[in-house]
Amino acid sequence: MSCVNDENFVAVALVINRSRDGPAFVFHYPSHVPALTNGHEKSDVIDIEDILSEQIAQPAGDAPEPAEDGGVRDDHYTTEAGVQVVPWEHVAGFPARDLAGILTPARPYHKKIFQLSLDPLLCISYPIHVPENGKWKKTKKANKEVDDNIAPDEPNPPATTKTEEKAKDGKRDESDEDKRSSMTMFNLVFFLNPKRHEAKELVDSLFSNIVKKVNKAYQYSQQHSEFVWKESKRILAAKEKAREDKKKMSALWRELIQNSSLAASMCEVYNAISQNRIATLHLDTVDGILTPSVQIPVPFFVADLPAEDDERHRGLWLTTSNAFLSQDALEEPGFLDRNFALLLMDDEKKIIAELQNDRDPTTLSMIEFVRLAKPTVSFYQVGQSNILTLDQVRKYAQHFIFWRRAIAIPPLHPRDVYIVSPNCDLERLPQDAQDWQRAFPLAPPLSTFLAELSVLPRPYKHISPSKAHRPLYLRMLAWLMRGGWVTQLCTFAYVVVWPEILYEVDYEMEAEELGIATSSVDGGDATSVHTTQENLDAQSTHSSLTSPLSQPQQPPQETPPETHPPSQSPDHAPNNNPSTTLSAAEHSAEMARLERIAIKAHREAADKATAHARKVAPVPTPNPSLNDAPHLAGLTPHIILDPKKAAGKESRYLAAIARRFRDDKLRDGWQLLCKYFDGRCALERIALQEDMKRREAWALLTGMREYLLLTRHW
Amino acid sequence: MILGIFYARFFPQEGISPHLISSSIPYAHLSASSHSPPGPKIVAQSPPGCITASASSSSSGNNTTTTTTNNNNNNTHNSNNNNNNNNNSPLVDFDVLQEYIIPRQAFCNRFISINSPDGKYTILGFPVVIPHTKYMRNEFIFNFGLLVDADCDQAPFESVVRCLAETFAEMEKQNEYLSLSEAKGPEDDSIRRPIESLLEIVKEDLNNYGECMIPVDEANIINMKLFPHHATPPVVKGWHVPVARTKFPEIVDPTWDITLQKVVAKIDGVSDVRRIAHEACVSLDLAKIAIRHLLYYDTILLLDIFFFSSCYAPRPGIHDFIRNVDGIVDECAGYVSHGRARVSNYLLIRFMASFSPGKSIKEWIMNHRDSGFEIMSYIDIRRFVQFGVIKGCLYRVHKYVVSKQYLASLATGQSRPLAGGDPLQKYTDGCHHMDQIMTEQNLTNDQVMDRLKMLPVPRGDITVFYR
Repeated sequence: MSCVNDENFVAVALVINRSRDGPAFVFHYPSHVPALTNGHEKSDVIDIEDILSEQIAQPAGDAPEPAEDGGVRDDHYTTEAGVQVVPWEHVAGFPARDLAGILTPARPYHKKIFQLSLDPLLCISYPIHVPENGKWKKTKKANKEVDDNIAPDEPNPPATTKTEEKAKDGKRDESDEDKRSSMTMFNLVFFLNPKRHEAKELVDSLFSNIVKKVNKAYQYSQQHSEFVWKESKRILAAKEKAREDKKKMSALWRELIQNSSLAASMCEVYNAISQNRIATLHLDTVDGILTPSVQIPVPFFVADLPAEDDERHRGLWLTTSNAFLSQDALEEPGFLDRNFALLLMDDEKKIIAELQNDRDPTTLSMIEFVRLAKPTVSFYQVGQSNILTLDQVRKYAQHFIFWRRAIAIPPLHPRDVYIVSPNCDLERLPQDAQDWQRAFPLAPPLSTFLAELSVLPRPYKHISPSKAHRPLYLRMLAWLMRGGWVTQLCTFAYVVVWPEILYEVDYEMEAEELGIATSSVDGGDATSVHTTQENLDAQSTHSSLTSPLSQPQQPPQETPPETHPPSQSPDHAPNNNPSTTLSAAEHSAEMARLERIAIKAHREAADKATAHARKVAPVPTPNPSLNDAPHLAGLTPHIILDPKKAAGKESRYLAAIARRFRDDKLRDGWQLLCKYFDGRCALERIALQEDMKRREAWALLTGMREYLLLTRHW
Repeated sequence: MILGIFYARFFPQEGISPHLISSSIPYAHLSASSHSPPGPKIVAQSPPGCITASASSSSSGNNTTTTTTNNNNNNTHNSNNNNNNNNNSPLVDFDVLQEYIIPRQAFCNRFISINSPDGKYTILGFPVVIPHTKYMRNEFIFNFGLLVDADCDQAPFESVVRCLAETFAEMEKQNEYLSLSEAKGPEDDSIRRPIESLLEIVKEDLNNYGECMIPVDEANIINMKLFPHHATPPVVKGWHVPVARTKFPEIVDPTWDITLQKVVAKIDGVSDVRRIAHEACVSLDLAKIAIRHLLYYDTILLLDIFFFSSCYAPRPGIHDFIRNVDGIVDECAGYVSHGRARVSNYLLIRFMASFSPGKSIKEWIMNHRDSGFEIMSYIDIRRFVQFGVIKGCLYRVHKYVVSKQYLASLATGQSRPLAGGDPLQKYTDGCHHMDQIMTEQNLTNDQVMDRLKMLPVPRGDITVFYR
C-alpha cells in the first residue's frame, strides 16, 4: 500500500474532447498548481549529464509564463505585448490548452490506464470515450447494469421512475442530437509527483482504487443524465465569463465548487484522497443524487516487523492472525466468525450518536450491533444472541470495517498474553499517555502500564488487581489494541517425535516385515507360498526354495531380470513361454541359480531376524523426551511440520504418540487437536474454533506438552 | 531490456512561411520531406518495424523518409530487408502514440514517457526543439526514444534517453549532424555512420553489456551505462553494528576513499559504528557516511549491539527456520558451530524457537543449562543470535526508559523542565532505546541506570519498558 499525500498527489483535472470544438480543460483542483521543479527529488542522481541536459531543458516556446517563480497568481494581468494572462490557463507550469490536447488520448485508450509522464509531472487516468454509435445514453436494458463503483453499503442510485419525463427527454435527444452530445470523451486526470522509488506502487494503488472508480462513476452519471457534459458546459461558460470580467481565480473557484456538483466532487476527491480519507462524491444529476464513495484501503495490520526506517507501517497492529490464514481455513464455513471480533476504532457512544442522527431504518439494528459487538465477543457469539442474525452481523461488520470505523481482531480474553507491540509508535507516547489518563483516570499511567505488560509476558488477568476490575481492564486493553500499543503473544506448535517413538515405530515396522517372512518359513505349505508371493519379491524367491515341487509351475519371470546370467543370448527371452525353449541342461542350471539366490535371500532374512532379535526391544517410558537409553543415542528427534498432511511413517509416529496417552480424553484430544500443530494456528484460538472451554483446551495442551515444540510470537 | 530504439522527427508543412524558407540557407533537406506529407515521422528505428512498418513491408508513402535515409547507406538498407522478413508488424500503434513522441512545444525539452494502450510497453523519449531561423518554420524538432516493457524498471533507461537527446542536440547545434544527414546524398556521407545502424549498436550494446561507447564522428562519442536504481539507504546511527556481506579484503583497492578504507578495515561484525569510528581514528559523522555508502551498495547489513543481557524474541520468520526452508538450519549450523561436534538440526531449531520476550540471553542460556544442555560449549551464541536476526527469525527487544513528568510536559507543550539540566533527560521520552543512550553518552547500562536514579524527579517517575 502506498501512502498518498498532498506532496505526491498534486492535483486532479477534468479534460474533455468535443466533436466540433476540440479538447477543453474543464476544471482542476486545487486551483493553484505551481510548476513542479524536478530538482528536489532527483538531487541524488545529478551528474554531469544531468547538468548538461538541464541546459537544453530551457523553456522552449515563447509562451508567457504567468509567474517566473513557479507560483500561480490569483488575478489577471496583461503582458507588455497586451496579452491578457488568465490565472487558470496555466496548470502545473503548462498552458491548460496544451494539457487539454495531450490529455485527450485517442480511442485505443478507452477504459485503459493512460499513464503519461511529463517529467516531473506524472498524469494517470482512465479515459472514457463515447460509445462508437456516438450516444452516451445506454439502452434501457443496460440501465439496470450494476455499477461496481458504488460502495457496497450504498443504496443503488435511485432508479428513474418518471417515465413520462424520460420519454420527453428522448424526443428532445433526437432533435438536437449534435448540439447536446458533442462531447466525444472525458478524462479525469490525476497529477502526481511521486518520488522515484514509490512511483509504481503509488500509481497502482491510486489507479485501481480511485482513478478507475471515479471515472466509472462519472461515466455512469453521463450515461444516465449527460451529467459530465452538462456540468462541463456550465463550468466552461462560467470560466469564459470570468475571463471577461477578470474575476479572481479564488473567487471563481469558490463559486464553481458551490454551484457545480461535478466541481465539488473533484474537490472532494482531491481533499479526501490526498489526506487518505474516504471520498464521498455527491453527484447532483437530474435523475437524482449519486453518492459513490472511493478510498484507498488502509492496511490496519502488518504481519512482520517493518524495517526500522519504514514510517508508513509504524504503529500498525502487529499480527499474523490474518496473514497465517490458510486457504482451507478461509473456505471453512464459520472460521472467520469464530476467530474474529469487532474492535471499534472510535468511542462506542460517539458512533451510536452518529448513527442516531441517521433516520434510515437499518440504523436501529446497527446500533444494536454496535452495543453487542464487543472486542471480547466473536462474531459467531454475537450471532448467537438471538437479536441479530449471523448474516446481519457479517454485513454490519463489513460496513464498519469498510468505513474504517472498526477492525476485526481475534477476541480479547483475560487469559491470553498481551505484550507491548514492537511496532508501536513511540512518538505518540506523550500524547497517548495524556489521552489514556483522560480515558481511564484511575488506571496507572500509560508508561507504567506498558512497563507492567512488557516486563514478563503473562496472562492479562494477572495484571488486573481483582476480578471486579476485569471489565475495566479489558476496556483498557481494547484501547491499547486500537492504538497499536499491544499485540497478543500467541503460541504456535509443531509435533516432536522423540527418539523413543522413532525407535518404537521403526522396530514395529521391521517386526511386521519379518513377521510375514517368518510365518512363511514356518508353515512351508503351498497356501502360505501363495500369499508371500504376492507380498515381497525377496520372499517369493525364498518360498520357491521351500517348495521345490511347485517349481515347474513357477515361471522364471519371478526372478528379477537383472540377475539373468550374462551368458544368455539377448534374443533368448525367458519371459516368453520359457518352458518350451529350455533344454535339460539349461533347466538344471537355472534351477541351481534360483537355488543360490534363494539361499542368499534366506540367509539375509535370517540375518535380519537375528539382528532384529538382538536389538533392544522398545520400552515405553513415561517421559520419552528424557529417555537417554544407549540404543537411542544415534537418533535425533523428528519434527512433523504439518500433521494434516502426515503420511506413511509420520502418521505412524502420530498414532504411536496417541498410544502413549493413558488418559482417554487426552488420546481423543490428540486426534482432534493434531491438525492445529502446524505452526500456523495459534493455540490460544483452538478453544474458540472447537467450541471448547478454554480451561479444557489448555488442560489438553498441557498434557500434550511433551510432544510439542512451541514458539511464541504475535 | 530495450525492445526498440527510434529516432523521430517532425516534418513541418511546406509553403506556410515562404519568406522564412527563402531567408534560410538553401538546404536541400527540404527535398527529403518534399515527397511525404508533413508531421511526425520515424526516421530510423531498430529493430526495423518496431514502431512503424518499415519501407519494404509497407507500400504507403509514409515511409519515404525512411527509405531516403536508408539509401544513404546500402548496407543498412539490405540488412533492413533481411530483418523485415522475420519482424513485420509494429509493436505499438504509431498513429496513436505520435502525439506523445513529438508533442506540442510546451512539452518539449523534457523527459516524457507514455504507456501503450495495451499496457504492454512504455515509450520513453525526450523531444527536443532547436529553434533557429535556418530551419523550416524556424525550428528543428526531434526525439530519440526507447521502447521498453511496461513493467521493467525505467529509471536506468531514463538517463539513456536524456543522454541521447543531449548528445544529438549538441551535435545538431555544432554541425547540423541530424539535418545534414537527411539532406545529403550517400557520397558526402561516407565518413558518418547512418543513424539507423548507430541506434542498432546502442541497443545491442546496452542490452548485452549494459554500456556502450560508440564514436559517432571524429569529435563525438556516445558513452552510456545503465545504472540500477538503488533506494536511498537508511541513516546510519552510532549504535548500529555493520556486518560485511562481501569479502572486503578482496575488493578494496588503494584507489578507494581513504576514510572508507579505514572504516572497512574495522568492520568485524561486533563493533558498533561509534567504536569503529574511534578505532579507525575517523570522525563519527564521516564513519556514518562511509558506512551508509556501503549500505547503498548492499555490501553490509546493520545489526544491533550484542549483549548477553539483552533480549531477543521470535518473529514469524521463525517458521522458516523450523521448516528448514532452503537449508537455513544447515547454513546456521555451519555458521555457529564451534568446530567440535556439529549440533543437530533439531537442537538448533529448539534453541531458536525458545527465545521469548522477557527472557534475556543469559536467562535463555541458563534455561537450557537447567535442562541439561550447555549451549555455550557447542555454538557461538553471538553468531547464533545474529544469524537469527539477519534471517528475520528473531528481533531485538529494546529497553526504554520513560519519565512521566517529562512525557506530560511534552504533551502539554510546556517548556521542558530542567532545560539544560541532565543530559539524560532528553532520552526519557520513550523514543530512545538503551543502546542509543549508551553509545551517545559513552556509558554502560548500569551507569545509565544509576544516573537516571539520580535525576531530580519524584519517586516512581522513571519506568522501564521493553519493546
